[in-house]
Amino acid sequence: MQFEHLIASAIMLTTPILLAAMGGLINRRAGIVNIGLEAKMLAGAFVAVIVSSATGSWIIACLAAALAGAAIGWLFSLSITRAGANMIVAGLGLNILVAGVLGFILSWVYRSSGTLRLPDVALLPKILPAGLEVVPLVGPSLAALDPLTLLAWMTVGLLPFVLASTRIGLWIRATGNASEMARSVGLQHLTIQDFTTACAGFFCGLAGAHLALVSLGLFNEGLTAGRGFIALAAFYFGRDRPVTTAFACLLFGALEAAQIRLQLEGLPPKLIGMLPYVMVLIALVVASIQAQRKAKA
Amino acid sequence: MGTALERSLGIVLPLLVAFAIAAIVLLTIGENPVEILTLMATEAFGNVRRFAATLSASTPLLFTAVATAICFRSGVFNVGVDGAFVLGGLAAIFIAFTLPASIGVGIIPLAFIAAAVTGGLWLWLPGVLLAKYEADEVVSTLMLNFIAAGISGYLVNGPLLSPQSGNNVTPLIHETAELERLMPPSTLHAGFIIGLICIIAYWTWCRNTPSGFEGAVVGQNPRFARAVGISVPAVIILVMVLSGVIAGFGGASHGLGQMHRFSDGFSPGYGFTGMAVALLARNHPIGILFGAVLFGALASAGTTIQLFSNIPLDLVNIIQGTVMIFAVIEAARLMKNRRRQTHAV
Repeated sequence: MQFEHLIASAIMLTTPILLAAMGGLINRRAGIVNIGLEAKMLAGAFVAVIVSSATGSWIIACLAAALAGAAIGWLFSLSITRAGANMIVAGLGLNILVAGVLGFILSWVYRSSGTLRLPDVALLPKILPAGLEVVPLVGPSLAALDPLTLLAWMTVGLLPFVLASTRIGLWIRATGNASEMARSVGLQHLTIQDFTTACAGFFCGLAGAHLALVSLGLFNEGLTAGRGFIALAAFYFGRDRPVTTAFACLLFGALEAAQIRLQLEGLPPKLIGMLPYVMVLIALVVASIQAQRKAKA
Repeated sequence: MGTALERSLGIVLPLLVAFAIAAIVLLTIGENPVEILTLMATEAFGNVRRFAATLSASTPLLFTAVATAICFRSGVFNVGVDGAFVLGGLAAIFIAFTLPASIGVGIIPLAFIAAAVTGGLWLWLPGVLLAKYEADEVVSTLMLNFIAAGISGYLVNGPLLSPQSGNNVTPLIHETAELERLMPPSTLHAGFIIGLICIIAYWTWCRNTPSGFEGAVVGQNPRFARAVGISVPAVIILVMVLSGVIAGFGGASHGLGQMHRFSDGFSPGYGFTGMAVALLARNHPIGILFGAVLFGALASAGTTIQLFSNIPLDLVNIIQGTVMIFAVIEAARLMKNRRRQTHAV
């Protein structure tokens, strides 16, 4: 029973990381390292709570969050592709800027410091009937399944096909791997990059909506708590491959879910929280050494 | 002439855009931007006491900006200054409350040495990884920031937790280990002077030493550097370690001068504000001094503005984020000679 609930919470905690990681992965495939995932998640969560409260519809709220993320992503992309900004610094700047703008709106419009509670926020519904809870092992996970979690895993299933076998997937890979070649065959590689950054924003917006609407129904300045960077860690660790990245996300989600229990076992939570980053560091070193060996051989 | 014009434009443009955006934000909420910005300027520089508060707020940025600039001018994209600042600060504070108080003022240099060693070793790691294995320094230093936060968070909640007080804090350092306040009651402390010395040392290093010159050559043209016999890996490791040492000094100064203990949230992103300063200053020492004071002024005036006119402090973050983005937009033209194409990240 306990273990089943652990699985359920691991899956729930994986969803936002997974959505953001899929967005960032598409973006990186087209040659842009998106450090600003965090900003777009935060904006998505904020918009989701406001729209959900205003309309009472979780679908409209999720769409609005995704579009807000996409719009921010597109503007961010323009600064990189058209104005030649360094993508790392611009991404870090975007995180600070968006946090500032949201904090400003929060305290000026809503007269609140840090947390936004609004009435009648529609939460994400459960897709399957609650009776499934009794199914052994995966029961609680099935009963808790929400639309965005389903969408996230469908994306994981579809993305390898989209990247490998569709025209748009080819364009994205060509832009990232051989931008000279892409340009020479007449692809608008900057537009493709802008499109993928908007995609990343779209998925991050959904990730934010999931964080805000899955159970709490409120926005908090610390809601994303570095998950944008965990997502970055995941697709670095998964070497931009959707399925491998999804496994990394699942691992990080499970770590987060287990954190409370491990804490009871006497393991310090701060050290557990830093594991994803340590793993990426190790993966980075291993990958670099391998690449070097290959180059020498 | 062209470069001088371009240079000053590169400094003025991001600021202009940032303040224009701040003005638009203020207009939207029905405030007079000229009035508010004048008020902020008076709050930051109006009299000696306020100016001291501004300099106090700029002190950590002197260190983090120099630490960032050392790497950026060699084309090493180190974003891990914040982590070195935090761990350096923790090391210094640890020394300053564990060693017997009877050592007296002698604790201070020991604490600074501990901070320098910690910070230097911390960034030595990504330096070696980059120099020897070409492991991307942006990712490694970014990850190291989170790891530093995890380690320090663990230590102040566990082994180094103060027995007297609640969560997240170490014991207070000995009074003899505190850096002297320069203009009480303001919190401006001797760390500011140490920061100035770091800037001067950085300037001298850049202009007058062979390794400083090599650092610049590697930043401008690594292939040429290799051709004339400069060891690029050695330069990369050197600038990383120097950056860590300066960042560690910054943490020590902040710990012994300002906080007097370590707590969670020791650095509210000083490393990243320092990056904004270094970018704005184009790594130039004088520019770093003015940039740090400017951001210090924003921080100290922002707090009072929030108190007196209800304008959220977040305005400062809006300005900082805009400056960072627009600083690199302009910089893109000047920094075309990066070590490698940005999309290779």
